[in-house]
Amino acid sequence: MKKSIRLCYLSILLCTCTLMIATQGYTQGSLSGTVTDSNTNEQLVGVNIVINDLNLGMATDANGEFEFTGVPAGTYTLEARYIGYDRYEQQISIADGEETVVNISMIESTLELDDVVVTAFGVERERRAIGYTIQDVSSDQITSSGSGDVLGALQGQVSGVQVTRGGGAGKGSQIFIRGFNSLDPTADNQPLFVVDGVPIDNSTVESNGSPRGMSNRSMDINPDDIESISVLKSAPATALYGVRAANGAVLISTKQGEPGDIRINFSHKVSREDVINRPDYQSVYGPGFGFSSSPDGFWPAWGAPYSETPDLQYYNNWENSMRTGVGIDNSVNISGGTETATFFASVSNSNNKGILPNNDWDRTSIRLSGELFQGPLTVAASANYINSGGNRVKYIDFMARLSYWNTSADVTDWRHEDGTMKSDSRDGRGSGRNPVYDANVNTYEDDVNRIIGNIRSSYQFADWLSLEYLIGIDTYSDDRSEITPGPLGLENEFVWSGVGGFIEETRINSRDITSNLSLNMTADLTQDLGMTLRVGNDVFDRSSDLIRARGESFVVPRFNHFSNATNISNDQRLTEKRLIGVYGDLNIDWQDIIYLNVTGRNDWTSTLPKDNRSFFYPSVSLGAVVSDMLETPEWLTYAKLRASYAEVGKDAPPYSTVGVFVAPSIYPIQGTTGFTKGATIASPDLRPERTTSQEVGFDLRFFDNRLGLDLTLYKANSKDMIIPVPVSNATGSSRFITNAGEIENRGIEITLSASPVRQQNFQWNLTSNFTLNRNEVISIRDGVDAITLGSISAYVNNPFMQLVPGQSYGAIWGTSYKRFGADPDSDVLDTSLPIIIGEDGFPVINEDDKIVGDSTPDWTMNISNVFNYKTWDFNFNVDFVMGVDKYNKLDNWDAAFGHTEKTLNREDRIVFDGVLADGSTNTQEVWLGQGVDSETGRNYGAGYHRNTYRGIIEESVEDASYIKLRNIGLGYSLSEDILENLPFRSVRAGVTANNILLWTPFSQYDPEAFNSSGSNLIGLVDLAYPGTRSLIFSLNFSF
Amino acid sequence: MKYLNKLLLVSVLSIFMVLGCSDYLDINDDPNNPTSAPIEGLMTNTTFQTAQNTNRVASTTSFFVQHFASPNEDSSTDTHESVSYGNTWANLYFNIGDLLVLIDQANDLGAPHYSGTAKVMVAYNLGLLVNMFGDVPFSEGFSDDILQPSYDNSADIYDQIENYLDQAKAELQAPESAASPGNDDFIYGGDLVAWTRTAYALEARYLNHYSKLGEYDRAAVLSAVENSFSSSDEDFQMSYFDEGTSTENPWYRTALNNSNLLLGGWLSDQFVDQLNGETYGLVDPRIEFITEPAITEEFEGEYIGTRNGAGRGAAPEQGERAVLAVGSFYASGPTAPLLMATYAEMKFIEAEAALTVNATRAYQAYENGIRAHMEKLGVEQQDIEDYWNEPSVSVGSANLTIDEIMKEKYVAMFLNPEAWNDARRYDYAYTGFQIPANHNPDLNGQMIRLVAYPDSEDQRNQANVPDRTMLDRVFWDQN
Repeated sequence: MKKSIRLCYLSILLCTCTLMIATQGYTQGSLSGTVTDSNTNEQLVGVNIVINDLNLGMATDANGEFEFTGVPAGTYTLEARYIGYDRYEQQISIADGEETVVNISMIESTLELDDVVVTAFGVERERRAIGYTIQDVSSDQITSSGSGDVLGALQGQVSGVQVTRGGGAGKGSQIFIRGFNSLDPTADNQPLFVVDGVPIDNSTVESNGSPRGMSNRSMDINPDDIESISVLKSAPATALYGVRAANGAVLISTKQGEPGDIRINFSHKVSREDVINRPDYQSVYGPGFGFSSSPDGFWPAWGAPYSETPDLQYYNNWENSMRTGVGIDNSVNISGGTETATFFASVSNSNNKGILPNNDWDRTSIRLSGELFQGPLTVAASANYINSGGNRVKYIDFMARLSYWNTSADVTDWRHEDGTMKSDSRDGRGSGRNPVYDANVNTYEDDVNRIIGNIRSSYQFADWLSLEYLIGIDTYSDDRSEITPGPLGLENEFVWSGVGGFIEETRINSRDITSNLSLNMTADLTQDLGMTLRVGNDVFDRSSDLIRARGESFVVPRFNHFSNATNISNDQRLTEKRLIGVYGDLNIDWQDIIYLNVTGRNDWTSTLPKDNRSFFYPSVSLGAVVSDMLETPEWLTYAKLRASYAEVGKDAPPYSTVGVFVAPSIYPIQGTTGFTKGATIASPDLRPERTTSQEVGFDLRFFDNRLGLDLTLYKANSKDMIIPVPVSNATGSSRFITNAGEIENRGIEITLSASPVRQQNFQWNLTSNFTLNRNEVISIRDGVDAITLGSISAYVNNPFMQLVPGQSYGAIWGTSYKRFGADPDSDVLDTSLPIIIGEDGFPVINEDDKIVGDSTPDWTMNISNVFNYKTWDFNFNVDFVMGVDKYNKLDNWDAAFGHTEKTLNREDRIVFDGVLADGSTNTQEVWLGQGVDSETGRNYGAGYHRNTYRGIIEESVEDASYIKLRNIGLGYSLSEDILENLPFRSVRAGVTANNILLWTPFSQYDPEAFNSSGSNLIGLVDLAYPGTRSLIFSLNFSF
Repeated sequence: MKYLNKLLLVSVLSIFMVLGCSDYLDINDDPNNPTSAPIEGLMTNTTFQTAQNTNRVASTTSFFVQHFASPNEDSSTDTHESVSYGNTWANLYFNIGDLLVLIDQANDLGAPHYSGTAKVMVAYNLGLLVNMFGDVPFSEGFSDDILQPSYDNSADIYDQIENYLDQAKAELQAPESAASPGNDDFIYGGDLVAWTRTAYALEARYLNHYSKLGEYDRAAVLSAVENSFSSSDEDFQMSYFDEGTSTENPWYRTALNNSNLLLGGWLSDQFVDQLNGETYGLVDPRIEFITEPAITEEFEGEYIGTRNGAGRGAAPEQGERAVLAVGSFYASGPTAPLLMATYAEMKFIEAEAALTVNATRAYQAYENGIRAHMEKLGVEQQDIEDYWNEPSVSVGSANLTIDEIMKEKYVAMFLNPEAWNDARRYDYAYTGFQIPANHNPDLNGQMIRLVAYPDSEDQRNQANVPDRTMLDRVFWDQN
């Protein structure tokens, strides 16, 4: 290392000498001036001033001034470059012995052309110097989205990134970058989250049993603390982070204090939300079966019409059982500092009530950060304490029980006076489980206490050499308490719990420590050739401990405590993982035109067998600013080409290499513990898996930066994945962990930006992100035809997702209509073929499972517009998600329960369109009702909807494409002249509406709905938490 | 410079702390689970799971023999729909897998008593598996190397079962064993004689399955019966535990859940009508030990079963239809025994095997079978006598036919998977037996003969899964 530094010194020396010799003997003049911002007239410090033809360059000083002396007389092009500003060029003439003064006024670039982006390890680099795509989101965008968490702020803002959010207070969101790249059904396909250089935990630990929509842990971050978010989408960008960022990375930079007066910012936000999209429920037919009324208990809506049962009343229980959600957010921050020390402190509270009863979530965040500059030493530290949690509702059960609920009973009348549950029988006694009672009485609360802290220090040995050290910790405890009370001991009481009530306490303790040491060298090898080199060591250490205790069968009613429980059981899960990495990152630039970046990293992981635990992977990327190399037409302001290639290794989940025996949770019994062989066959010879990724793209700017086009083509292949291959239970196991398979993602990302209007008082900026990703499972393992991702239960037949070579990750499988002339060996439906109608006149079900839909979108797009008129700002943001299928379980259930308008055809007589088994056209008329058809005397039994419709998965797979007005917002800030007379520095009031317009063919609550954060079953929407639309009022002011 | 020194020191130290400890990364031994299990732990779990598996299988087959009927109309198991019983399938395999590990450990240890006990359980669990699913993987199963095991012919597996039983009989009588089961054996508490008798009982049961085939060996059946249980005290059964819902007798749990309106355990009208006098004009005193009469005004005191496939119709969720009652013999409480093979069953097997060769013996065994089951349930001696003395029961040795034997055995095998084997051997010829309402049309009005293979096999072992329907039969069930 020393040798190479010496070499580069030498070369610099040589160059300088050459230059000095070359410049002697000419007539000379001097050039000086001041550089200011065109708008504010502030002097700009550190602007690069270059006299191109002479290869002379310098930076402006603290007063924004520059001066070149001894410039040979002649005519030159003077160029000024500054991050965040348009490039400035001017012809100048230097005359012998004269002093030429040029004052430069620089215009701030609207399209963030040469801005700074945050790259791996928080290194800030010029966007132009990067050979891969990187996209960021500013604090303004976060504010205007009105979102209360990080993922919400990212929605639609970055191409290649798919963020889905469910309704519900505190319910986690999901983020996938450039598709799915693991065949492991349980794999976390979500990116790494990094705050100020320290990776944080973004896991979701879902509740036991039916999911309650637990938070993904990045929800703990207060969005008001965020300065910017930068998204690293591909392996070249994340190569330095190694195994943990194999799915991309989301880098969050928090706000820091700035030298100057102390600033105080207040922000206040109030929001209301309700269900975005309701299926059309029918109020024509009442409870019962076969058109006869049964008013007591859980009868589907197949009974007599309400018009014939005057003593029964229809209740729209779906609407009545949900409430208006309310959110209140308050936050205050104080910042300031001197030239040698700055600080930033914030306190915020977010209080949310979801639309399902008793669902709430709060977050309180306190954050303090400071930086100290002492000569060559910089020390920065920050600490963020978060308390979050709330009460969670089993939303799938809630929605399911609404479907079971007899529509002639009022679900909101949920409790008898004695405190016991009211069912859907007329006397309120019976077994119909009331979802509102469940939500209110059977509680599940989580309470997270978390500290995220870091200390960063750097020492500048010389201009060209610095040492940085960062240590960060993310630790939290998640205390959960689930209580389902036991019987009250009253007569005729319905007892919810089959085990006499229970209490379950869960304690999760998690601790991540990250240590990162790096040495940075910057050197200009020649006048034209610059270099930076970073070498470092990275250590990651995770430890988590989950303990669960359960007490069942309470003795004394209403006393829900372990001491009152008859049966107590417990469970523990310890996990430890460690990782050591050594990396190098070399950047070479030539004339600020061509940029080459080479990285390499070697990881040693604790989770792989000793012999295979060390692995190396490289990346290389190249960027070329073509517009600075070639003569380009006037209208082309900037053009850059880029290309990159990278590999990333990935390790195994902990404890995958040794087979174990397990003591099932029922033990001990009578002091004896039983053991069974673990359900997974372990592999003692696992190797790291590998993802290779290639990317090419360009970044073009036209018409003085008023139009920009950024396009990326990429392809990523993950091979030798460490996956639990499902195996026949006849092996005595269920899974086999091995290196197998290959999955590919390839796609196009386009970002179009434009400033159609750019005037003093009125600006209009437009950004559009377009993403097209194709996913294909290339192979699994010889002899393994498919890996099951999972299924959800439906009536009669269950839809499932499985990974099959040649098909997309998102393929939905299930029963379909039998079709005439269909190839029995094909997995894919040919819907152009006629449906086969059976001898009974009804369509025939094909029990042989086929692909009935694809839940990965064909393409997605977002268009966002920002208008500024004087001190008004207005923005709107539209999301397009197209060509995506999802299984609508509610549709399947309604075929069983007859709740929606779709089932109003129950008294129709129709001839099904299709052919008989011999190919002849079907002509048989059938009745769609239940029981005996009064006209023909034929007994139709349970009828078309229950006998045919609900058995066909294909029928309930719907197009879940959508166009959503994601948000629309209007803001007004007080102008300078008004503020002069007020004690405020700034005041802004705004109103934002989210998701208020929706177009979709999907007939459930929300086409975006998903089961729970962390689930890969993207195509199987269970009875999900209904999606919401919201209206947000905000007020910000600062002193 | 002092900062620099400190900073350097901290950084360098931290690197060396990490890289210096070569065992820093050696933390991948699972702290949550051991890599080997004690033989006692395997014995405990395999005995427990053997009883559980009996319940799992019977939870399905009891609908086919119409002991149970679903309270819900057109319920899939009740109407012989193609249902994936993947959980039952997996648990049978997991338990057999654990038993094979146990046998290996016993061999290494020189503990034939453990090995013999385990082999009896292999024979039992394997029998449950084959008789529910037909041809299944076995010879290529239980391997970490063969991930897609081929399917064996069910007749060949029966030969294997016979081998296991023969080896078990010998090993259980071994004079020396490095270790022997004790309290870790939840079934017999280490009683090797009882295990030996169970081995013979299972042999009798399996040999009797050949009744439809030419190779049916009555003498061998009778000989096995003679060596099996000498009284109901030796029955192959496991008493459960009162230590939480999952350690309770599962039939008790079904009954209790039903009383809490989680409906289940409803009795079929086929079964109830046999007991309440509807079918045979004679009330069987055992009815009180199985269920309770209606308490609704309209039907008070009556025993009313539910028609398979029809659901409860207008009947309320409670108080009218006959259900497996909390406190009845089979659901007497959390610690109730779960019956797997009984002395009463042996007597009916004896009656069947002796029927054409020794009518007197057959008749005596028939009587003993009835009495044994009634006594087991706790029926009063006088009620037993009264029942036996009914001419339709005590038909006399000359008039005894397979019909009387199967009729009585049908009651004695309540909640036992063996009842379905009987029903198939007997071609469901019970008096009054009907195809369920809303019956799966694919079966063309015929009763189910085997359940479908689970979805997991279709997805993970498709190349080997035999193509068959639910009307195809296990090898011994041929006409």
